[in-house]
This record gives sequence, structure tokens and C-alpha cells, in this order.
Amino acid sequence: METADIQNAFKEKVCEQVELVEEGLGRFRVLVPFMFDDGDHFAIVLKRSNGSWTLSDEGHTFMHLTYDIDERDLFRGNRQKIVSNALSTFGVEDHEGELVLAVPGDRYGDALFSYVQALSRIADINYISRERIRSTFIEDFQHFMSERVEEGRRAFGWIDPIHDPEGKYPVDCRVNGSAIPLFVFALQNDDRVRDATITLHQFERWDVRFRSVAIFEDQEGINRKVLARFSDVCDKQFSNLAGNADRITRYLEEASAAG
Amino acid sequence: MSFLLNDNEIESLLQEPKPVDAGLVASMRPRAKRGHKEWDLDVQGASVGQFRVVVRQSDANPLDFSAILIYLRPRTNQQFRLRRYNGRSHMHSNKLENQQFYDFHIHMATERYQEMGMREDAYAERSDRYADLDGALRCLQ
Repeated sequence: METADIQNAFKEKVCEQVELVEEGLGRFRVLVPFMFDDGDHFAIVLKRSNGSWTLSDEGHTFMHLTYDIDERDLFRGNRQKIVSNALSTFGVEDHEGELVLAVPGDRYGDALFSYVQALSRIADINYISRERIRSTFIEDFQHFMSERVEEGRRAFGWIDPIHDPEGKYPVDCRVNGSAIPLFVFALQNDDRVRDATITLHQFERWDVRFRSVAIFEDQEGINRKVLARFSDVCDKQFSNLAGNADRITRYLEEASAAG
Repeated sequence: MSFLLNDNEIESLLQEPKPVDAGLVASMRPRAKRGHKEWDLDVQGASVGQFRVVVRQSDANPLDFSAILIYLRPRTNQQFRLRRYNGRSHMHSNKLENQQFYDFHIHMATERYQEMGMREDAYAERSDRYADLDGALRCLQ
């Protein structure tokens, strides 16, 4: 096949999948082949207001993401960075949840290309959440602990300055304020559980007084033997964060009050 | 970590009675979010299932809505979308069947889409059973 033929095949295939459906005065539904991971295509409208044309999703993109993600989590941390970068890179504006791009002059094609790319990047947040990217769970854990333990009583990534100056045995979050400090571990996978097991054994060897608690991203995903060894040295475990928020909160309060 | 359900398990969950207090549903008020409204309702199934009804509707376009029936896997934070009743605001593609349409449509959890590594409810069918969100909620119930 000649190069020109291939190019034409590309153009025809892409072009035939873009369609305008009139939905009223100065309003068209733009049908495009780009979609979320559930088969639903992006919802895009081309509409005229104040004499100019704009592309808009009328709030659909964020709304679609909230099927899986709490709306508050969508606009903080790594997810918020992804959204901001996508919008700024492609010149799309967020008008109270509605993603809008003004069409410059008659550059409808350029505008649509930019707009779709922005929506694609934002839609990938859903994929990231579904695959449980590690940094998001740790963020969620830190946010959770920050909301429940005042700043002066917690230390993320704590290192024992006396026994471990080289920082080989970090604790995800140390909570003080009672006679016996609390060592809290956020565990997403087998490697993290193994590391936490070694850390707890080491602190026992140093004869350090502490209480340990583990919060798993999903305890059922941990290898049984790995989990069994960890269970021998950890005082308290929670199988996941979201489903145990109230119980973990109570445990933290009771641990602080117990002294 | 995701989990899979086969077609028999999906059907069993759909058939499980999910008693809902009609008064409770009527009294629910949507929460205003950025660009849309939403409300959720947790429902205990008559057997062992725990479910959640999730409803979303765009502020700008009332036909852009979704009413979702979700199964909550016990003792985890994992969710499985059993049915999703969507409005007419976007196209949908069924990749395995090579179908596309722009209409009101109902997403259905299937074993075959999960086996292909896709979302459990990536398959959908056009529907003329409803034409607005209220109609979709009646269908869901």
C-alpha cells in the first residue's frame, strides 16, 4: 500500500467517526470516537454564546469520574495535579465543573484536538484509581491521619534518631502523646508488608516500647505467608482504609487515651 | 485490586431482593457538586448482599444522568457495578460486539467483558424504557 493510501485511510477512518448532531439553535452534539474505559464516549457539545463558539462537556467528565471516585478526592493531591496539568496544557478552562474551550476563530479542528486530549488525560484518573496507584493510597492514608491526629502529635516517615540514625527502619506514621507511642504502617503490597515485619522485629530487638497498627490498602491481596509472619509482630490490623475509617478513628482515640 | 463475578453470580445479585423504604427514597435530597448533583443510598439485600444506588445528573443537561446499582464486596472497599442506567448525552461502544449508538442505554455487568480485562459494565444496550432520570430510577427499582 502506498504512503498516500495509508494516510488517506487514516484520515477517512478518523473523519468518519466525528459527527455533528444538531440539538437546537446554536448547539451541536459532537460525536467522537474517544471514550472512557467503560465504553461511554466523551460527552462534547459545541455551542454558541455571545457570538462565539465553545466546546463544553457540560460537567460530564468530572461527573463520570465520581462514579468511582469521591468528588473531594478528585480535586486534591495527585489527581488534582493531573487535572490542572491537563487543563493548562491544552488551554481548557474549568467553569465550576464544566470543562470549556473557546474555539479561536474558525480553528474548529485544532480546538477539538486539544479538547479531546485534555479530556483523555483527565479520564485516565479513573484508570489510575482502578489500578490503585501506590502514591494515591499513601496520600489517602496521610490525609486520613492528618485529619485525625493533630500536627504536633504525628510524624510521617519517622526515624528513630537514637537506634536508627541511618534511617533503615522508617515508620509510616508515629503518633505520640501517650505513654506508649503508636507506630502506624500503611501497607499496599507484599514488599511493604515484609519491610514492616523487619522493622517491627528490629524495634523489638532494641527493646523500644511501642504499639503497632497496620492499615492495608487491601489485606486480601497480601500473600498468606507474608501476612502470617507480619501478624505475629503487629498488634492491630485493619484490612482497608475506606471501609474502616470509623473503627480506625476510634482505635487512635482509645490508644491515645490509654496511655 | 479488582475482583471478578461470573454471569451466574451477577444474576444472583440482581435477583436478590433489595428492600428500600419508599419514604426514605422520597426524602433524599441531592447534594450539589461542581457541575452536577448526586445522591447515594446504601441498601442491605434480603440475603447477604450489600448494595449502593448512586445517582448523578448534570446541572447543564438534565438528559445527562446515570443511575447505578453497585454491589459492595463485604469487608473491603471494592465495588462492582451491576447495572447503570444512562441518559442520552454521549455515544456508547460495545467493543466486543463492534456496536455503537447514541441513545438512552443500560450498562450491564457481564463475565465476558471482565475476562477481556475491561470494566465489568462496559457492555450496554439501547433502551426505550425511560426518557428521563425519574424513569431510569423506576427501571432500576
